[in-house]
Amino acid sequence: MALGFWGVGLPLSVFGILFCETRAQRVTVIALAAVFLAVGALIGRAKR
Amino acid sequence: MKLAVVDWLFIGWYFVLSIAIGLTYSKRAGKSISEYFLSGRSLPWWLLGTSMVATSFSSDTPLAVTGIVVKDGVAGNWLWWNFMLGGALTVLFFAHLWRRAEVVTEVEFIAIRYSGRPARFLRGFKALYLGVPVSCITFGWVTLAMVRIIQTVFGTSGIAALAICLGLTIFYTTLSGLWGVVATDMLLFAVAMAGSIILSVVSVEKAGGIGALVDAVKAAGAANGKDYLSVIPPLGQALPLAFFVALFVQWWAVYYPGAEPGGGGWSAQRMLAAKDPRHAVKGTLWFTVANYVIRPWPWILTALAAIVVFPGLTGAAPGETEAAYPRMIAFVPKGIAGIIIASLFAAFMSTIESIVNLSGSFLLNDFYRPFIKKDASEKHYVAVSRVLVLVIAVLGAAFSYVLGSVKMGWQLVMELSAGIGLVLLLRWYWWRVNAWSEIAALSASAGTAITLKLVPDNPVVRGLGRALERAGFAVDAWGVGILLIVAVTTVAWVTATFLTKPDDEAKLLAFYRKVRPGGAWGPIAKLNGRSYKLQAAPFAGWALAVVMIFFLLFGLGRIIFMDWGRGAAYLAAGGLAAFGLSRIIARMDWEGR
Repeated sequence: MALGFWGVGLPLSVFGILFCETRAQRVTVIALAAVFLAVGALIGRAKR
Repeated sequence: MKLAVVDWLFIGWYFVLSIAIGLTYSKRAGKSISEYFLSGRSLPWWLLGTSMVATSFSSDTPLAVTGIVVKDGVAGNWLWWNFMLGGALTVLFFAHLWRRAEVVTEVEFIAIRYSGRPARFLRGFKALYLGVPVSCITFGWVTLAMVRIIQTVFGTSGIAALAICLGLTIFYTTLSGLWGVVATDMLLFAVAMAGSIILSVVSVEKAGGIGALVDAVKAAGAANGKDYLSVIPPLGQALPLAFFVALFVQWWAVYYPGAEPGGGGWSAQRMLAAKDPRHAVKGTLWFTVANYVIRPWPWILTALAAIVVFPGLTGAAPGETEAAYPRMIAFVPKGIAGIIIASLFAAFMSTIESIVNLSGSFLLNDFYRPFIKKDASEKHYVAVSRVLVLVIAVLGAAFSYVLGSVKMGWQLVMELSAGIGLVLLLRWYWWRVNAWSEIAALSASAGTAITLKLVPDNPVVRGLGRALERAGFAVDAWGVGILLIVAVTTVAWVTATFLTKPDDEAKLLAFYRKVRPGGAWGPIAKLNGRSYKLQAAPFAGWALAVVMIFFLLFGLGRIIFMDWGRGAAYLAAGGLAAFGLSRIIARMDWEGR
């Protein structure tokens, strides 16, 4: 499950940098990517 | 709309991740029925609550909210926000009781609560009714909605992608049971929410930013004589009956999938799968907050932006207003559009997987096992469950292919059970309710609904409508119909209850000892030698939960529309209520010992 969140979060952060056309879009996509990565980390820690 | 290669790559990668997560659990799910349908009763609150909200977030939900907002403004959402009152009731009064009951399905409750042949009939009937027609209609409804979204975005070329998505979802759901469903639901809900948030940001920008959006929506409202931004319906001189019914009747009377009075269907399945009663309560609370506070605003923002971006939308037909949501995807830049499409697939998959797993549980646990093959091995039952899940999926897919529109059928299913909520609530707290009470409620509700369909304009409806008008309501046919169905159903089941014998004392005593419900169990409590009391704390908790959700929901809205002062005040009030509620939940003895 944690890998799933990281698997979405990583491309999301790259796409946010590469493809977003405005600052608001970039901030939103990168913030969401950060949430995915953080939730993945939390799940990984809970499982351990 | 044509997606770029990078968009398709993201969608394909998202499918790989979802299926890999689902398949991880296939071995564990194959051990027993409890593992396959209830994840071994080991789910923590955050997992079961997220799975509930993921299931209720279907691909057609954002479209429906868009249609509502374009037609009636933000306040139109009271059509479904009212279910929050019932949701909070389930958190405080029923979630822990479901977990204590330790049944496998909602339908098995009948076997531990009622006795005799009426109970056997009711269990078999409900297993088949909920397991086949209701599941197939729900499956068909969700799939058809997804087909329309795909056609709006891609034309007919997207249907192959949808068929692949459906096939893969059924594949991992069949193998991995509820374990696979709840594990993938975590990711699916996150992806679905991310997509709707990104789309709302792009939509607001397209409308000129939040300030320009508010001004333009106010101007559009002034032209139509509406306030699209108000969260309270225009009460004016006459109170709309639909609003009255939604606020005071619908949430406890109508059996709506995902918002069943007292819990039921897939929400009860997840309460039953909780680690313990406390986790069932906390998980259901998280679902209620996520469902009513977190989900709606991105959809509402996209809908309001659509009013500005597509002039004339407010006067369009319902199908066109709902299609405004997927039409907004055209404004999303390449590379990001794939995320939005994946989010729609995620919403679709999370609902489909839960429907087929739930219907399989009804058919196996409440029909096949008690009536066809008793005392077989767990391996046999798991194998049959997998076949049943597959059969339901094929039936549901065929149903969506055959029907041009399931809206009428879906509405009929809703109306057939529109008055049964009260008996579903009281069966936990009043010893006298028996199988005949439920049978009478189901028959009366269905009979009245069918009569109203066949003869909508009859003297009773006209008389009730006139009386309500005299009482100061702005009357509509739907509201009158619901009130009539609820009144007839309530009279029918209360009468049936008193005209028939109570259930066997031994059955009632076993239920009372196992579930420890409190309430009106006088003679059974006396037999037990110990009475379980209904405490005051859940009533206070219910009031606090309602206050919390209202203030957080509206506070978030105020903040989004940059009304900082009121937004902060609302959020602070919601936070205070949340603190009070958390104290109550922490102190209550949810085991009831």
